[in-house]
Amino acid sequence: MKQSNGTKVFFIVCFVLLTGYYLSFTVMNWWAERHIASLPENEQVEYRLQNQERLNNLRARKLNFGLDLQGGMYVTLELATHQLIAELARDQADDVFSDVLANAFQTARESGTDVINEFISEFERRDSNARLSRYFHMNTDDLTRASSNDEVRAYLDRQRNAAVDRAVEIIRNRIDRFGVTEPSIVRAGSNRIVVELPGIDDDADRVRNLLRGTARLEFRLMANPNELRSSFNRVAQIFDVREEIAAEDEDGEPEIRVSNELRELILDIGGASVIFGYVNVADTARVNELLNRDAVRRALPSNVELMYSARPERLTQDGPRNFLALLGVRTQIELTGEVITDARPSFDPQTNRPEVSMTMNREGARRWSMITAANIDRPVAIILDDLVYSFPVVRTQITEGRSSISGLGGLSEAEDLVNILLSGALPAPLEILEERTVGATLGEASIRAGFNSAMLGLFLVVIFMVVYYRGGGAIANIALLLNIIFILGILAAFKATLTLPGIAGIVLTIGMAVDANVLIFDRIREEQRAGKSLLAAIDSGYSNAMSAILDANITTFLTAVILFSFGMGPIKGFAVTLMAGIVASLFSAIIITRVIIDWLTRGKNIKVSFG
Amino acid sequence: MRLFEDPKIEFINNRKIGYIISGLLVLASFGAIIFKGLNFGIDFRGGTEIVVSFEGTSPNVVEIRNVLSEPLASTPEVKTFGEDVIIRTDSGLEGNALRTAILSTLNQQYSDNPSSIIKLDIVGPRFAEDLRDAAAMSIFFALGIIFVYVLIRFKKWYFSLGAVAALFHDVIITLGIFTLFYEIMPFSLDIDQAIIAAFLTIVGYSLNDTVVVFDRIRENSLIFKTEAYDRMVNRSINNTLSRTVVTSMTTLIAVGVLFLFGGEVLKGLSFALILGVILGTYSSIFVASALLVDLQLKKAEKS
Repeated sequence: MKQSNGTKVFFIVCFVLLTGYYLSFTVMNWWAERHIASLPENEQVEYRLQNQERLNNLRARKLNFGLDLQGGMYVTLELATHQLIAELARDQADDVFSDVLANAFQTARESGTDVINEFISEFERRDSNARLSRYFHMNTDDLTRASSNDEVRAYLDRQRNAAVDRAVEIIRNRIDRFGVTEPSIVRAGSNRIVVELPGIDDDADRVRNLLRGTARLEFRLMANPNELRSSFNRVAQIFDVREEIAAEDEDGEPEIRVSNELRELILDIGGASVIFGYVNVADTARVNELLNRDAVRRALPSNVELMYSARPERLTQDGPRNFLALLGVRTQIELTGEVITDARPSFDPQTNRPEVSMTMNREGARRWSMITAANIDRPVAIILDDLVYSFPVVRTQITEGRSSISGLGGLSEAEDLVNILLSGALPAPLEILEERTVGATLGEASIRAGFNSAMLGLFLVVIFMVVYYRGGGAIANIALLLNIIFILGILAAFKATLTLPGIAGIVLTIGMAVDANVLIFDRIREEQRAGKSLLAAIDSGYSNAMSAILDANITTFLTAVILFSFGMGPIKGFAVTLMAGIVASLFSAIIITRVIIDWLTRGKNIKVSFG
Repeated sequence: MRLFEDPKIEFINNRKIGYIISGLLVLASFGAIIFKGLNFGIDFRGGTEIVVSFEGTSPNVVEIRNVLSEPLASTPEVKTFGEDVIIRTDSGLEGNALRTAILSTLNQQYSDNPSSIIKLDIVGPRFAEDLRDAAAMSIFFALGIIFVYVLIRFKKWYFSLGAVAALFHDVIITLGIFTLFYEIMPFSLDIDQAIIAAFLTIVGYSLNDTVVVFDRIRENSLIFKTEAYDRMVNRSINNTLSRTVVTSMTTLIAVGVLFLFGGEVLKGLSFALILGVILGTYSSIFVASALLVDLQLKKAEKS
């Protein structure tokens, strides 16, 4: 008996030391933060600089608080694979390609399968001899005209893989430039990225734009104003709807009223200009629907498409600022963002409004020089992510490769734009699948509430145990307290995150942890009632209760494991604390209490009462 | 202190009452679920949930709902969230636009009571589908694993059946209560990921309870070989009664404290856990053990 207790004591000491070690960082970090907070403001920064390495080490190894406790933003992004495929085929794409891709996208979306697989199967369904290589082999050395469809599939998978990795890097760049402490940007699966940004609260809007902005910068020439003007009437006519409102009027002819939805939605400016018309922000969806018809495309000049301006403006002096200009822009892209080597926020010397000045590389500067020389007194559209930010008129030839983007809302927008331009364009757009933001105040309130509940719950259970099980109850309480410390230690050791449901899990564990002891103590009481001596009752109490304890806890552990594997985010935190709680409570209930009881009853011959 | 020194309560003989009560509760729950429908949170339905905190007291929720209907182009659900207000909408507006729309409208309407967004959750429709699948799978797997585990440990299939029946019973009734009391409770009874986590925990806890009784039944069946089965089961329940009540009490104390002091975010979760503890204890006796007896008696009759 003494020997096995020796091993037990050894294990207990190990556990306690390990836990102490892992939790020490959290404690030291907390203490350090308090110390810094107590210093006068000016000394704080210096202290941080001097002790930077030590503080960073503490911060990296302390117990992680989930975003729902510290406040911050959690986003799941998905790469638009179908757009990546379209981008890879670029100029080789034909109508069949677009059609198949669109169908594959729909099918994949509905049934939750992989777009790449759907794309290839759809193609093969239409034409079993189709060679997909003809769409992609021009842009890469990996494929030739003769490559099989399987090789194309492998190529697309590789490209997507690389694209997601690149997207992670680009996002990391943007977040770093933005300035977030301890961001976490990780890949999740074949085409998703999970971004965790502690501390982001009011800036959530800016961050959302940073995460999604593809940063596709284009310089394009604009439509001929006269051509655009005449096309306006042609386009509008398509939407004329004639209806008879009266059978006959005085002249014996039926009265016809003509209504035109498009004219109601697009405000005509009257003269010839690169502006097609103005659209209220609320009507843009409907206008897009109307303009999407083939008839409209035929009515517009063949090298022109319509694009919205980026910022809403007001049409009358006191009117609301919610009209977007619809602009006629040439389809040909003269210059892209790839030539930009540097960008910085600046202020327009005349208007004092913020803008972004860009510098181009040599090739870009050369092309820009040619473009500006050929288009004096004509506007050039500066387009970012399919929105026209500005269309300044070229006054002189620009030879130094400089340009600027104006029409921005404020300095922060300029800074974010610089960020995106310098970090690089995303290979394909990222869609936000899920976003959770918790404000810092709510986080603090949650921590307080969780902590208070845990303390109060602990207090009440402790009292109950002593009242009901007397001496045995007091021992069980010691085990319970150690239990909680162990749970936190396990979490810290495995770098798990403590979330609000996690704290709930700890509170729940407090309630359930006593169960094992209850089983043992009740059994001991029963054995005593049956006439056994104290020591014998303790022995048989522990051994008889064992099977029930193990069965019960293993089943709960299994459900926690299932929760862990299927749950996401804070629920994972709940599952982890539950599992840690079960392990810790089993250890403390079976081993620790046994050691203490044995030490008291055998060693010190104290008659421990079990109530 | 002793609560149940050596109880000799007649549980099994009165199991018919238990069946009737359980039967009614399960039927009522099924009815509620079928006719009223389960209320899923945005985790499983998709949509946006925003918690808005006002500097002063929060305005009336109906008022807020009306004020926001226009800018959002659809009527949002507005409820109280502790002292704050929670707004749920399926409006097509995306993140930034939605935030701006809500904040500017509210600050315009209540210009002397500025508001701020303290919590924002957006779940896209496809992601909601993923979460639904994950939740369904986890419940399915959990029940399956439990059936197998109990079968292995207790060797006879009616132990497994009794255990799983008790679990079903607990989960269905909890779901039923959530559905029935949906508008009545001052806190959110939406079924979201946290509630599913609570259900799985309830499953774990209820099983915990059931297994302790089963374990005693197995032990007693070896000791009291000549005793009638139903007497032996009754004895087992009485043997473990003290433990059952005490553990239920300590767990209820813990989750009760969580419910009262744990903050608004945890209200739904802790409410589910409270129901689970109460039902779990009840079902170990009046569903699992009772079924055990009846299945055994039927088997005895056949042979």
